[in-house]
Amino acid sequence: MPITLDGSNGITTPMYNGSITANAVTPSVNMKNRIINGAMVIDQRNAGASGTASGYTVDRWTYQPSQASKGTWQQNAGSVTPPAGFTNYLGFTSSSAYTVGSSEFFLLQQPIEGFNTADLGFGTANAKTVNLSFWVRSSLTGTFGGALNNSAFNRSYPFSFTISAANTWEQKSVTIAGDTTGTWIGATNGVGLYVNFSLGAGATVSGTANAWAGSFFVSATGATSVVGTNGATFYLTGVQLEVGSTATSFDYRPYGTEFDLCRRYYERLNLASPATATSNLYIGSTGLAWTSGDVRAYFRMYPKRAQPSCSQSGQIRFGTGTFGQTLSSGFTFDQPGPDSVLMYNNTGVSGFTEGRALQIWGQSSGYVDFSAEL
Amino acid sequence: MYKLVKNPNDPTKLSGMIHRLSDNVFIPPDPANTDYQTFKKQINADEAQLEDADGNLMTDAKAFVASLP
Repeated sequence: MPITLDGSNGITTPMYNGSITANAVTPSVNMKNRIINGAMVIDQRNAGASGTASGYTVDRWTYQPSQASKGTWQQNAGSVTPPAGFTNYLGFTSSSAYTVGSSEFFLLQQPIEGFNTADLGFGTANAKTVNLSFWVRSSLTGTFGGALNNSAFNRSYPFSFTISAANTWEQKSVTIAGDTTGTWIGATNGVGLYVNFSLGAGATVSGTANAWAGSFFVSATGATSVVGTNGATFYLTGVQLEVGSTATSFDYRPYGTEFDLCRRYYERLNLASPATATSNLYIGSTGLAWTSGDVRAYFRMYPKRAQPSCSQSGQIRFGTGTFGQTLSSGFTFDQPGPDSVLMYNNTGVSGFTEGRALQIWGQSSGYVDFSAEL
Repeated sequence: MYKLVKNPNDPTKLSGMIHRLSDNVFIPPDPANTDYQTFKKQINADEAQLEDADGNLMTDAKAFVASLP
């Protein structure tokens, strides 16, 4: 009984009364896509709200502007229908007609950790060819640009892509021969590779497309400037960087897997009131009255890339059944490890019984942030 | 502006954390932490100032930073 395997039908196995054929699909390979949150699903910081500041937008994607107040970013900006198979995208809307200076740039960027790029072999004779594919939509048409960079920003691969129709999702694919020279961070928790999509870049930071250069370029020469047109939009999703010379199907990872991948770099721990806690986290007896005027909480977090920076917002209540105090300031963090941290407050705190365990919960949307971003 | 942080268990000592006052973020002394990298870069470039744990402006901030990991 023959079993056949071909590129069209996949695997065909005979049955006594017929046959069964498995579809020829690209198998899911763990971490085929080196981009995290390439479908722009996870948005811990903003929960869909818009922003204009530099820094992280949806998880793992930063907005890098040389000038402030030139545009707004938002998950699902403009509320257009995403491309088939996707539910989210990252959108940028220009808020002025800005002429970009020669060394200025405006980017949507993802830094990829060295542990996730080391096998690409960049900087060696065995550098692998990679493919960058993505869905893009803009109110503008023409040639757009982006670039790959190393962590020292002295190796760059500018690339270009053409958007043919305005306000229409188009899938693009860029094949990049691996860089055989330069210094690339290997298997460490530093930045292994930057992936940039340009919203505008000056001549000094734009280079010849489709070639490695020993300079800092973030885009291809002559690319369209999104920030140059007031109201122009640039939407992006389905970003995939994979080994190989062709784009394969987008690697849809389970939501929980994608969320955990994001939480290695950033985590917001929402603290909800016990009266309203449904989906948000309510922390039970993890607090302690260190002294009568010093309350402490010990947070566990998803293991981080490095020791995280920590902050608190909103109100957090420490209490027992009969006594408690709601605090909105004066918190300090200490002893952060990759997966735990101490938060204490000894400012304006009084009346607690030393050694007593305390319940902790949030009020007014209290939360704590842990950031170990690249 | 940054500020050093006292050790919660022994206020006569430093905890090692750096308090970024502008947005109330506490930064660990981990060379892999990008906020920590920025802190050291800004102090060395005179782009930010550093207070001791009592709130006094440090005039020897660069030397102090040089002693950090």
